[in-house]
Amino acid sequence: MNAAVLTRQLNRLFAWKVRGIRCIEIIGVLLVAAMIFSVYLAKAAAAREGAEIADLERQIGESGQRVRLLKAEVARLEQPGRLEALSRGAGLGPVEMKRQASEDNLANLAPIPEPQPVVIVAPTAPEPAPAAEAEPAALSTGEGAR
Amino acid sequence: MSVHDPHAWERPAPRAPRPTVYGLRRLLPSWRWLGEAMWWVEHAFGRARADARPDEDTRVRIFVIASAFSIVFCGLALGAAHAALLTPKAGIGSAANPNAVARADIVDRNGALMATNITHYGLYIDPREIWDADLAAQQIKRALPRVSTSKLRRILAGDRRLIVLPGLTPQEKSAVHALALGGVTFEPEDRRVYPLDSSARHVLGVADSGGQGLTGAELAFNADIRAAGERGESFPLSIDLRVQGVLENELGAAASAVGAKGAVGVVVNANTGEVLGMASWPTTDSLNRVTSAHYEMGSVFKTFTIATSIDTGRSDMNTMFDASQPYMIGNRRITDFHATNKVLSLEEVYLHSSNIGTSRMAVELGPQVMRDYFTKLGLLDAAPIELHESARPRRPTNWEDSTRASMSFGYGIMITPLQMAAATVSLVNGGIFRPLSLRRGGTGAEGHRVVSPETSQDIRDLMRANVLRGSGKSANAQGLRVGGKTGSANKLVNGRYDPRHGVGSFAAVFPADGPADAQRYVVFVLIDEPAQGSQLGGAVAAPVVGRVADRIAGFLGVQRVADPVVPAVTQ
Repeated sequence: MNAAVLTRQLNRLFAWKVRGIRCIEIIGVLLVAAMIFSVYLAKAAAAREGAEIADLERQIGESGQRVRLLKAEVARLEQPGRLEALSRGAGLGPVEMKRQASEDNLANLAPIPEPQPVVIVAPTAPEPAPAAEAEPAALSTGEGAR
Repeated sequence: MSVHDPHAWERPAPRAPRPTVYGLRRLLPSWRWLGEAMWWVEHAFGRARADARPDEDTRVRIFVIASAFSIVFCGLALGAAHAALLTPKAGIGSAANPNAVARADIVDRNGALMATNITHYGLYIDPREIWDADLAAQQIKRALPRVSTSKLRRILAGDRRLIVLPGLTPQEKSAVHALALGGVTFEPEDRRVYPLDSSARHVLGVADSGGQGLTGAELAFNADIRAAGERGESFPLSIDLRVQGVLENELGAAASAVGAKGAVGVVVNANTGEVLGMASWPTTDSLNRVTSAHYEMGSVFKTFTIATSIDTGRSDMNTMFDASQPYMIGNRRITDFHATNKVLSLEEVYLHSSNIGTSRMAVELGPQVMRDYFTKLGLLDAAPIELHESARPRRPTNWEDSTRASMSFGYGIMITPLQMAAATVSLVNGGIFRPLSLRRGGTGAEGHRVVSPETSQDIRDLMRANVLRGSGKSANAQGLRVGGKTGSANKLVNGRYDPRHGVGSFAAVFPADGPADAQRYVVFVLIDEPAQGSQLGGAVAAPVVGRVADRIAGFLGVQRVADPVVPAVTQ
């Protein structure tokens, strides 16, 4: 019974016409038109984004090339042989073992408390000698004390 | 019967020409059924009406057409759905790695660049688009001095687009591009670039413009480098560029100071077999002397003889050897270079580098034992490393007493410096022979046992003693416990050992103390035919090892320890 009512309803819907054209067909055409338009929009947007992506990828590629070039240049400039030649030219050299120490050894290398009394004694000893110039003597004693 | 009688349509009209469809029947008998089927379908409506069932036929037709369209549209819909839903996933997944290159960058163990691919440009000229050929030639020559003038003029005078010069660097390209000449075009080409120039060139080798390795690591790891390139990663070697730099500089300085013909230096991690530095001097020579040059090494071989003797239990640190007079094997008289003319302990044999002592050991060992040990030490086969250049040694033809005596102090067998390094590594690392490797992390191979850990300990002690009290004093880098053995050999020139052509070498380990599995490094340096001064390994090679160890210890994390004062007293 219910089915019969539904069928009738459907039939009426299909039979509903506006100026001789079935409404259901008009609706269908409108829907198809809307769909075609939305597909067009989506495709246009995708194409634009695709172009943008391609452009970015090209830029990435170019930057990558440039990065590679710069890295190679850095590697050339930083190669140990070249650095050593440059630093030797500048009067530098490997640090001698005597000048290397770890933090723990600092106390052994230079016992700090002991020289202090020497510092006090040192200026008193040379004081009588430099009668003419006071300043250089003070400097030299300072160096010596260290 | 009318013309509308469907039953009559099957029959040809009495005098009418046959319809074209019937023509097929005449052409090929096999097409007959097709023509008839079409004819049957064509007139089904008429037939149905004749049978008074016209509506039934109409429905059938509508149904058939509707189902055909439904199938087609279902197919299209499925295709569209597949394209819309499934393809993007595959499309994204298969997108090429943006960093992919034909060959990966080669970097050292800390990531410093050693080899890379840089896009270069081929310079092409189409003379038909050039207005003033002479002016263009002048301008291009000025912007790009290395171009051949004759070739440039020939192409400008021609009538086709031709390549003028391949491999323009980006700077050169922009210089030519800035001329804004019509008809001048560039085409990108991938080129392998070695930014370190001559540094490490023997280890790296070269790759051709087609992206295939030809020599060195480029050849040895060709497949790995290409695979890493596809993933957009770089390929790390075991080389430490800082160690390599120090080794090359010290070796070059020492070799040129004595006017040597060649020089070799290797630094190996004794625990993993990783090669941290490999230098072959002169760098202008394409021969990698580390892997491919053969030398009679001289006294550095005494380490192997003594290790064999100790490990087989034939001698220990307290065994005495009579070196008071020359040792006779048949008519051959073996003497000591530093003759002591007394009975020596094992340590004294090593420290005084007594040929007599080691010859006695070798004769006592017998051919089979000595051969077994030399095989295990890798002295009779090419050094195991990835490099294809690793050459096989020149082995002795027999293992008689006299030959073994010669081999006991490094004559009669010519090995490559890399074999020497590998054998030394196996003696100092607790007694395991592992393949050397240029891969970061090593090969991870288990290796095989050569000598017992106790023998290895004895050898390290002997080497250390030799640096403290023997011939290797100049290698004693402060606080690094360097141990080593000097080697000095004369070269065979025109069938005679010529004392003017010598090879001085030094095989060292540091630190030589500590437990068997402590972190150690083996340094081997060989100076080939020093022209000035002493040719002894202790004079030419040991100081290089000392300086190298001194400078690389910091990079390798080797802690310095205060040197013992005792040796100074015994001196």
